[in-house]
Amino acid sequence: METIVIRGRGAIPGIASGPAMVCRETIQGWSGIDETTGKVIEKGHPAEGQTIRDVVLVLSGGKGSNGWSSHFHAARIRGISPCALVLPKIDSRTGVAAVVCGVPTVVDLQEDPFMVIESGDLVTVDGTSGTVTIRKASHDG
Amino acid sequence: MQLSEEELSILDGQGGPLKRKTLEFIVNYATVLGADSLCRVSKAHLFCGAHHYLKAVRSKDMDEVMSEMWFCSPDKILFDAVGCFSQSDCSPVDHINWSKMGCYEDEFRENERYLDRCLKAGVHLVGSCVPYMTGFIPVRGEHYVTTESHAVLMMNSLWGACSNADGIEAAFCSAVCARTPRWGMHVPEGRKGTHLFSVTCKPETVEDWDLLGYAVGLRLPPHSTPILEGNVAGVDMLRLKSCFAAMATTSGPELCHILGITPEAPTLAACLSPSGLEDRIEIGPRQLREAREILCDQQAGEVNYVSLGCPHYSIDQISEAAAFLGGRKVHENVTLHIWTALPIKAVADRCGYTKTIEDAGGTLMVGSCPLVSERWPAGTRAMAFDSAKQAHYIKPLTSAKVFFGNAGECLQASISGKWGR
Repeated sequence: METIVIRGRGAIPGIASGPAMVCRETIQGWSGIDETTGKVIEKGHPAEGQTIRDVVLVLSGGKGSNGWSSHFHAARIRGISPCALVLPKIDSRTGVAAVVCGVPTVVDLQEDPFMVIESGDLVTVDGTSGTVTIRKASHDG
Repeated sequence: MQLSEEELSILDGQGGPLKRKTLEFIVNYATVLGADSLCRVSKAHLFCGAHHYLKAVRSKDMDEVMSEMWFCSPDKILFDAVGCFSQSDCSPVDHINWSKMGCYEDEFRENERYLDRCLKAGVHLVGSCVPYMTGFIPVRGEHYVTTESHAVLMMNSLWGACSNADGIEAAFCSAVCARTPRWGMHVPEGRKGTHLFSVTCKPETVEDWDLLGYAVGLRLPPHSTPILEGNVAGVDMLRLKSCFAAMATTSGPELCHILGITPEAPTLAACLSPSGLEDRIEIGPRQLREAREILCDQQAGEVNYVSLGCPHYSIDQISEAAAFLGGRKVHENVTLHIWTALPIKAVADRCGYTKTIEDAGGTLMVGSCPLVSERWPAGTRAMAFDSAKQAHYIKPLTSAKVFFGNAGECLQASISGKWGR
């Protein structure tokens, strides 16, 4: 299995691994994530219907409501949270969400993770050292 | 991170547990952003009230809920003081006409309990998404926080004030410790434009500007700051109120330069990022038509709920609605709500606009909206909004038809009970 390591800035320390959920499209605040299921409910979003629960969420950024983080917060209180965050470029909405989720987070990556990580890859996020290790899943068939 | 003596003493507990906890949050947030210092916040606009998302905490103890959801503290700490001038944003309940929203008395009372705690902590209970129309006016270079996305765009863009979008938790923490990370919109290099939008359509009405904002947002990548040029003359605060509300729905900018109009954009060179333009995008009549097609159900039909005032209506918008409704009657199958801020309603009461609206069968509502309250009349099968933001966000939450149009179309639908151009 191919292993790739990309580097960024460790923002929230700790190590966690899980399957990647890759969102090149931002997720909106209101009507973006169902706080009770963790599912993306934004109409037409490529990840619509997928859940953020226990995934390594690779997300381009936030948009919409300034209450963006509160939806991740409310989901986390219900036990639904990504196990780690990979944010190619930090912004204020995702920054607050990272703090409220409190999961290992790497931000401001040196290379484009959307060129490297695909949904389903097994990803280990080390928020202390700022490394993201990707073990490629077989995407055949 | 460089922290002042005062900040270090707060972290040491000198200002009490609430101030310490809130500053700890802001320092953590600053670390995530990569900020190397904090700046002093003078104003905070806060999402106060018993909002639905708070129900995630299974506790009857309001202070436990506030501690977790507003201050990220699993330990209960009393919200007893803000550290800067603070106003409340929308809550889920109109404290006057709550029953007309479909709220129950226990929901009204619970919301009042939350608001009362905020009041005792020093938050002025304005209850509006348009703080800049009710005395919350930061000047150029002033650092503030707000929980309303379009308000960031308004106050950063029009007056050169400084806030990031942040989030509800960060806003409450900043309100208490009066600090926010010195990063993004709080530093000059974070405020430069990246994407040039050539406005080749001719936006005139509030609806045109609403659609323009929606169309710009659909094309604006994350981490970008738009610059508008072209047919932008004639824009005013009301048009920008709708434009920015829509733009902050389909994208996430915290500042929008308008060449020759906003103070940091006297010329393109003055507001442009040192790395140059990342893209040039044209917004013409076709892009506005496409935006409207996304927002408005294409099949004409009956309407039984009409809601105006997202963002909250100004006094002149209320006056225009009252002028339209004077001598007419809202259809017996339609509920008409017009939303505004409490201080603006006081003026509408004084001027007789409220009575005209009520005589026609509508209601001038305060302090909330269908989106924040997630309430509309029971049995609603089709609703009409004069706000792209409201139509966009409510569509996924309902099986009812959603229509979008200008205020005149919506008011006409409230009279006829039907939608159709």
